Amino acid sequence: MAAAARHIDDTFAALADPTRRRVVELLRKRPYRAGELSGAFGMSAPAMSRHLRVLRNRGLIEEQRVDDDARIRVYRLRRERFDELQRWLETVESFWADQLSAFKRHAERTRPRKRR
Amino acid sequence: MTAAISVTTIVDVDRQDAFEVFTRETDSWWRRGPRFRFLPDVPATLRFEGEAGGRLIEVDEAGSEFEVGRILVWKPGELLRFEFRALRFEPGQTTEVEVRFEPVPGGTRVSIDHRGWESLAEDHPARHGLTGPAFDDMISVWWGDLLVSLLRRAGLRSA
Repeated sequence: MAAAARHIDDTFAALADPTRRRVVELLRKRPYRAGELSGAFGMSAPAMSRHLRVLRNRGLIEEQRVDDDARIRVYRLRRERFDELQRWLETVESFWADQLSAFKRHAERTRPRKRR
Repeated sequence: MTAAISVTTIVDVDRQDAFEVFTRETDSWWRRGPRFRFLPDVPATLRFEGEAGGRLIEVDEAGSEFEVGRILVWKPGELLRFEFRALRFEPGQTTEVEVRFEPVPGGTRVSIDHRGWESLAEDHPARHGLTGPAFDDMISVWWGDLLVSLLRRAGLRSA
């Protein structure tokens, strides 16, 4: 649990920046090369590289070599980090979903039905 | 940034009744046990006390109470908004719950939005896996509305 919480903190810190959020949205579609990303954002290579480093250090993305050329690397999302977030969301949602279904049962048992 | 966590149901009663059940019979339907209650170790009653300006509190038989939060908006049959603080929140830190009651052909649509996660400071101990009653699981992993919204927009949830 503590590790997951720490990860989620990292994720949040990494995504506090709008450019990095947009990078994540792009990478969701497919892996990108660093050059493609700086091009897509109209940003210098060093500036994009700083953003990619933050995302990588925080564990949101990873670098991958393209098979036949060791010089070319692509960046892709690390799915597991987003799965942790999803589990947290589901915990909160299920709290309220359980409450609402208990509320519904009680209301329909104790009040006249509106329908029919 | 608006809704963080949203859930909804349709209840087969009219909106005035739905509001009344939600706010005046809270203890009868609000689920029990450590996942849902703030004072889970003793018999206790959870209730909305008063209207706007009042409070949502849980009180045990000995009279000790836990204030979940102030009631911010009270519009019978329409809208309820209240602060929501769990045990480990510090002063000034709160989240907000909004409950809307809307008439629909089958009865009343009741929607809950829970937001304001960004108000918890980054170093808040509640975010780091401490165990405890209601909502600790949830706030042990603090999250911002911003991110929830991002996840939704980006379709990163499998649901």
